[in-house]
Amino acid sequence: MINIKPRISNSSSGKGILEIKKKYNILNTFKRDYQLWLMLLPAIIVIIIFNYIPMYGIQLAFRNFDFSKGLTGGKWVGLKYFKQFIDNYMFWPLMKNTITICLTSIIVGFPAPIFLAILFNQIRNAKVKKLLQTTVYLPHFISTVVMVGLMIVLLSPNTGIIGDLLKAVGLGDVNLLGSTSSFVPVYVGSDIWQNCGWGSIIYLAALSSVDSQLYDACKIDGAGRWQIIWHVDIPALIPTIIILFVLSMGNVLNTGFEKIFLLQNGLNLPVSEVIATYVYKIGIISNQFSFSAAIGLFNTVINFFFLFSMNKISKKFADISLW
Amino acid sequence: MIMKKTLGIVLAASMLTASMAGCGSKSATTSSAGTDSTGKVVTLNAIMLKHPLTQDLEKMEWLTKIEKEAGVSIKWQQISADWAQKKGTLLASGDIPDLIFGQNAIVDSDYSQFPGLFQDLTELIETDAPNIKKMFSEKPETKTIATQLDGKIYAIPKYQRFWPTTVARQYVNQQWLDKLGLKQPTNWDELYDVLVAFKTKDPNGNGKADEIAMDFTGGGFNAMRLLSSEGITTTNSSNDGFFVEDGKVKNLYVDVRYKTLVTFLNKCFSSGLINPEVFTQDYTKFQALARGTGDVAKIGFTWGWEVSDRFGNTLAPQYSSTAPLKVSADSTDKVSWDYNYDYLNFGSNMVEMSAECENKDAAMKFIDKFYDPATSIQVLFGSMGTNISDDGGSYTVLPPTDTKMDPGTWKWTSSMADNGPMYIPDTLKLTLPTDMQSLAKQNEPLDAVMKSIDIEKDVWPGMYIKFSSEDNTTLALNNTNLGTLTSSKWASWIAKGGIDKEWDAYVSNCNKAGLPETTAIMQKYYDDYMKTK
Amino acid sequence: MVGGLFMNILKHKNMKTSDLVFDYIVYALCIVIFLVIAYPLYFIIIASVSDSTLVSTGQVTFFPKGFSLFGYNEIFKDARIWSGYYNTIIYTVLGTAVNLLFTLPAAYAMSRPEFQARRHVMLFFVITIFFNGGLIPTYLLMKELNISNTIWVFIIPFSVNVFNLIIARSFIEGTIPKELYEAASLDGCTHFQFFGKVVLPLSKPIIAVVGLYYMVGHWNDFFTALIYIRKDALKPLQIILRDILLTNQVFASGAGAGGASGGYAQQYADQVKYGVIIVSTIPILMVYPFIQKYFEKGVMIGAVKG
Repeated sequence: MINIKPRISNSSSGKGILEIKKKYNILNTFKRDYQLWLMLLPAIIVIIIFNYIPMYGIQLAFRNFDFSKGLTGGKWVGLKYFKQFIDNYMFWPLMKNTITICLTSIIVGFPAPIFLAILFNQIRNAKVKKLLQTTVYLPHFISTVVMVGLMIVLLSPNTGIIGDLLKAVGLGDVNLLGSTSSFVPVYVGSDIWQNCGWGSIIYLAALSSVDSQLYDACKIDGAGRWQIIWHVDIPALIPTIIILFVLSMGNVLNTGFEKIFLLQNGLNLPVSEVIATYVYKIGIISNQFSFSAAIGLFNTVINFFFLFSMNKISKKFADISLW
Repeated sequence: MIMKKTLGIVLAASMLTASMAGCGSKSATTSSAGTDSTGKVVTLNAIMLKHPLTQDLEKMEWLTKIEKEAGVSIKWQQISADWAQKKGTLLASGDIPDLIFGQNAIVDSDYSQFPGLFQDLTELIETDAPNIKKMFSEKPETKTIATQLDGKIYAIPKYQRFWPTTVARQYVNQQWLDKLGLKQPTNWDELYDVLVAFKTKDPNGNGKADEIAMDFTGGGFNAMRLLSSEGITTTNSSNDGFFVEDGKVKNLYVDVRYKTLVTFLNKCFSSGLINPEVFTQDYTKFQALARGTGDVAKIGFTWGWEVSDRFGNTLAPQYSSTAPLKVSADSTDKVSWDYNYDYLNFGSNMVEMSAECENKDAAMKFIDKFYDPATSIQVLFGSMGTNISDDGGSYTVLPPTDTKMDPGTWKWTSSMADNGPMYIPDTLKLTLPTDMQSLAKQNEPLDAVMKSIDIEKDVWPGMYIKFSSEDNTTLALNNTNLGTLTSSKWASWIAKGGIDKEWDAYVSNCNKAGLPETTAIMQKYYDDYMKTK
Repeated sequence: MVGGLFMNILKHKNMKTSDLVFDYIVYALCIVIFLVIAYPLYFIIIASVSDSTLVSTGQVTFFPKGFSLFGYNEIFKDARIWSGYYNTIIYTVLGTAVNLLFTLPAAYAMSRPEFQARRHVMLFFVITIFFNGGLIPTYLLMKELNISNTIWVFIIPFSVNVFNLIIARSFIEGTIPKELYEAASLDGCTHFQFFGKVVLPLSKPIIAVVGLYYMVGHWNDFFTALIYIRKDALKPLQIILRDILLTNQVFASGAGAGGASGGYAQQYADQVKYGVIIVSTIPILMVYPFIQKYFEKGVMIGAVKG
């Protein structure tokens, strides 16, 4: 299968073999795999045009925004805006709030769709399964504005149904919407409620490609249901789980903006002011382009660092990685 | 033969495509060619930042009429949501239409941040805008509002004259008071007793202790209105905390009187007199609660714009507006209130023009049409005939043709209303719609106090002050940080107490958030403005 | 032998009880999950036809109260809704087609272990998830290319979502065994033929998933229209709904500066709010069952053998 086209290198023969391999890797791949390159071409072109070309805008984080000189003409100020952000007395609270919300989302929210997929996979009645799946993915389509409106109605301590339930168990004094200790659980909980079903789709798809003969074989061997899950379902999901987990590491500082902004109020503000809402208040409302670009870049670099590290770890231990 | 035919077709096709390509290639941001001097119609692009209730601009008869009279045809892009997100991109990429309408769609800081983007209108006003010139001379405040720090005019303000001096009126359920044999409270102690009575004696008579004695929200209808009992005159609700006292700029968030108020409110909250959801409900809920259920009212004491807006038509008769309270029966502080006259009656930045507009005179003439008083009242209330009747020499605003609608909503659906450019001179005779007439009546308990406010020494003249670009940036950054701190403490101290313990640390944090710096900047601009008067 | 049979029956019996318990747990969990998710959805439906004051004060729990179709009337009265639906359908269909056309071959190429450059190419893609130049340079680029304010801005620029590309690649890599390609290429099969004749049919689940993700991405997208579209005629459904929806946010900041915005109007905003979700979700609801059948089992049978 492997076609080695020997090349005569210019250097002395001692280095010859290594040179052969190196040249083979980069240049030769065009010739050998031209079909694959062709298949990649549309994607690469689109990404270059629409993602790489505008990247010159990143330098806005290092320059004063000067409208009369265009995006790239402002005075170079280096790390001034980064410093402004880090020296800002809100910096540590913002970081703490953002990381708390994101980590909780990942730790609690990541396993939920997996659990759901495995659970649904156990249902044998096709109609029931279909009904459940359809119901469970629907919340994903509720727009944020409506979702928050819904939450405010349902979670109201006096008039909401969840408030009534809490009163019934004696927790009537707790205002879920207005306390620093309940904000993160409510926020993450509502995210899970909205996205768990949708997120389970990919895992269900992975489970659906498991050879049914494997299940039969297990049953013949006398395996119990739980053992089947452990030995068939979960291994089938592992590659998907790992890749998705590595990707989720890239969201360590991404909270999304709209939902938090709409749920913020005076009582939960100490934990609900995050980087995204801060950037909105400073950047969008008062046109601080460079400052918000700097904060955005800061965010990005940290996210990328986490992704990069997680990718390396998973490559080492599971031999599965993004690149 | 076939070749010739194919060639012919190919040639024809390519010529066709070439001519089509030539046609549509210009991006549609600046106006297309057209002259007004020969009577041809000029096409202009415009954005209007309108209220979501407002109907399609194309349906407004008065607007179509003035477009015709000015010889222009406007391609409207009507925006009612998400302007903040769109705006940054449009401005930074220089991609704005010929005209932008809408109150403060563009703000003062945009002119200094985006130099060369907007047209300086000073000369155009001289040559093409007689109505605006009249407004400037009859109401010189408008000229002050319009002029930027560099002396140029980039936008035209409005003057709408009929609005009250303040945005918030204080309401108490008179029916409950009568039922319990109580008088309207005149100070905080009496208020407390009234609230306790509301909470415990079932004044709405339905056998359930479901009354909410006091409710409020952020902005104008905030319990901070009670600061006025201690002599603080807030301007435009002073959300950033700044107010002026005797010529000195101060910030209420670090003022001892704020501490007194919060302590009082905390006492009310712990006694169950304030709506427990006061900080977590949204505006929908805030309004919905006030409408009660059928005839049964829920709220005892609150603030609002106008009685039928706040409580709905059914319960409105139960409420009376009250005068500002004193702190205690023997308190000597000069009672004040929230002063909003300038912000309610004037408006800045109603319309701007792009520097790239190719038909500036035509555009200016069109803008000037809005400022003809006969048009201005239509901008505000709606078209002549359906919304206003011309009684020769004076005008009457007609009631809504849809009887289910209240006059306020009717105004907002019919026309640009407060978001449009207008000049309604003091001399114009107009009979107001019923809600505004009733508003004037509801304002009466406040009149005495409002008249006693010293406009020179105790009011922050925010409408007339323009900040430089750097100062604006500093203010924005500092105020955002300060806001996070103060709004969370306001809520937590009222709901959970602890102000005595935490006060000193809080003040020092406010100072860390740049408060002294911000106050000094504000004071400097205040002094400079005062010198010009 | 009888003993063996007996042992087998015993084994079955044991499995049966623990299986039964397991089944009960599964069904109990499913019922709980169903209720937790279905109730708020049901609430949205009844709230969209109830009097909004009653809704926000919590008096609507299991049945609509103050029944009124006012919200829906207001939504459908706005003629733009229909052009919104039409536009969204076009953008979604065309857009998803282009998405799949660009993404799937790329995912296949990236899944070939013998493709030496694939790690570099992947890094090239992944970087764009994080680093982007920001909205303003992108906006300027669209203007330069003359696709701003046209239908193409919905179809070409964001046609490759790297996240979807990665999951497609991982799926293909994990489920199409190496031996399959080796066998095929020995028979003179090119990558294109292999992709079209073998990989695609076997990848139905992932095509369904990725296709669904792209489709829903298009369907829910309002941001693109918000920034790039001026003409009303090009606006997709979500932008129009958002316009209608955000009236509530305006009211949240208090009465209009001068002249009450009116209590009547407040009620209007609320009733429309819930109706909006229903209106925008029903089409997707109708499409999903068709796609879901591709998740069913039995796709890979017999592929490895031979």
